[in-house]
Amino acid sequence: MEQEVERYRKPTRILHWVNVGAFTVLFLTGLVLFIPPLGFLAQGGWTRLLHRIAAVIFIVAPLIYIPLNWKATLSGIKDAFTWGAEDIGWLVAAPRYYFLCDEECMPPQEHMNTGQKMWWLMVIVFGMVFVITGLIMWVFKEIAPTALLQWVVLIHDIAFIATGSMFFVHIYLSVVHPLMRPLRTGAWSSMARGKVSVEYARSHHAKWYNRIARVDKVEEEVRSR
Amino acid sequence: MTEKSILFDSTKCIACRACQVACKQWNELPGEETNNRGSYENPSDLSSNTWLKIRIIETEKQGMPNWTFSRQACMHCTDAACVKVCPTKALYHNELGMVSYDKDLCSGCGYCVDACPFHVPRSNRNLITGMAKMDKCTMCTSPGVDRIAAGYEPACVKTCPPYALKFGDRDQLVPEGTKRVQALKSQGYTNAYLYGEKELDGLHVLYVLDNSPSVYGLPVNPQVPVITTAWKGVIQPLGWVLGGLTIVGLGLNYMVARQAKIARELHAEKEN
Repeated sequence: MEQEVERYRKPTRILHWVNVGAFTVLFLTGLVLFIPPLGFLAQGGWTRLLHRIAAVIFIVAPLIYIPLNWKATLSGIKDAFTWGAEDIGWLVAAPRYYFLCDEECMPPQEHMNTGQKMWWLMVIVFGMVFVITGLIMWVFKEIAPTALLQWVVLIHDIAFIATGSMFFVHIYLSVVHPLMRPLRTGAWSSMARGKVSVEYARSHHAKWYNRIARVDKVEEEVRSR
Repeated sequence: MTEKSILFDSTKCIACRACQVACKQWNELPGEETNNRGSYENPSDLSSNTWLKIRIIETEKQGMPNWTFSRQACMHCTDAACVKVCPTKALYHNELGMVSYDKDLCSGCGYCVDACPFHVPRSNRNLITGMAKMDKCTMCTSPGVDRIAAGYEPACVKTCPPYALKFGDRDQLVPEGTKRVQALKSQGYTNAYLYGEKELDGLHVLYVLDNSPSVYGLPVNPQVPVITTAWKGVIQPLGWVLGGLTIVGLGLNYMVARQAKIARELHAEKEN
């Protein structure tokens, strides 16, 4: 059988998919207030109830995950804020890679490539923005100054526009782009099964693969002694 | 159809608040617990069950206490912020120029509550579920109890003992109010003003004031809030464009990348 390496542990994958579900509901129930021709779908207010149920899941899921997986949380946050020269290299190579499907032009990438890292950073930052502004609207609607509430709606909307647009990009680059087909390899495999082939890890995340491969070798040596 | 309006003459108002009672009675709104705050003004604020109230402002005039009475209810603006922000089109202008709403369509988002420059619409909100419904003065046009369609004036106007309230065609009430303001000016009320003639492209409640609007607790030169305009006029359209361009961009990328991938695969096959 083909050799595989683990990319995402099970708790991380569960958190990902739970938040996918919550975010999709939040996105759609928000969209109906954002595009006037869809406004009729919000009539009566049931979408706002759904929005709140999804919001609770969106907030509670990471709150359960973090204390149980604090090491992964810390390293994940560290990854999001670690940027270097190879990220510039990715940005320069990205048009050639994604338009011309030239897989040779990409400099070696870490566990997350620059594109994944940008999205992950957006998820952290705008996730916080969503939660803070959302809770203000939920809890303080009756007592906060109206001007503040209007600003909060505006900021919630800006976060919605930014993440909503990039949500499409994320889905597209993970499972729709021609280089991501067939789905057996790559991003889908990482998040669905948690594993990718050694060949994929080596070609797409060389820096990460070399790092873990070296660690494995050292561990092997230690064990053999 | 000709636009209708209410003309409120503050100089005739005696703050008997019969209008408040008539409003509750006609619209079947429950009474509210009142409290003693050292003022005859009660209840203390508008709510989803109190659509109209008289504001009592105590000032001093030549060493004597002076009462100023103002009317607090929906102004039925022409340039109405609430209608602008309502995402479900529950709020709309009816053919008489009044700001009406269909309560069944209201989603309870409360955007109108925050956008109204007069802070008129209110909602009763379930803090846990967030479910809410907005309510405000309908100028007695609520479906089923529509006095205007039946040829009557609003309940508040009907009941007003000193005839401080008058209902009629807007283009007749504006000259009438102007005349009244000029009379007040000639009596020495130099700041007398007809509020609502031009404000927000014309309110459908006109106020004859013997002093500047600020004395009556009314905003001088009220505007649809800048944030509302920025949000509805700039940010949302920007969002539609950005979202649309993203999807179009991804579609274009797919077409280009698919061709490139096929070309590469063919090339690789040939080399083998």
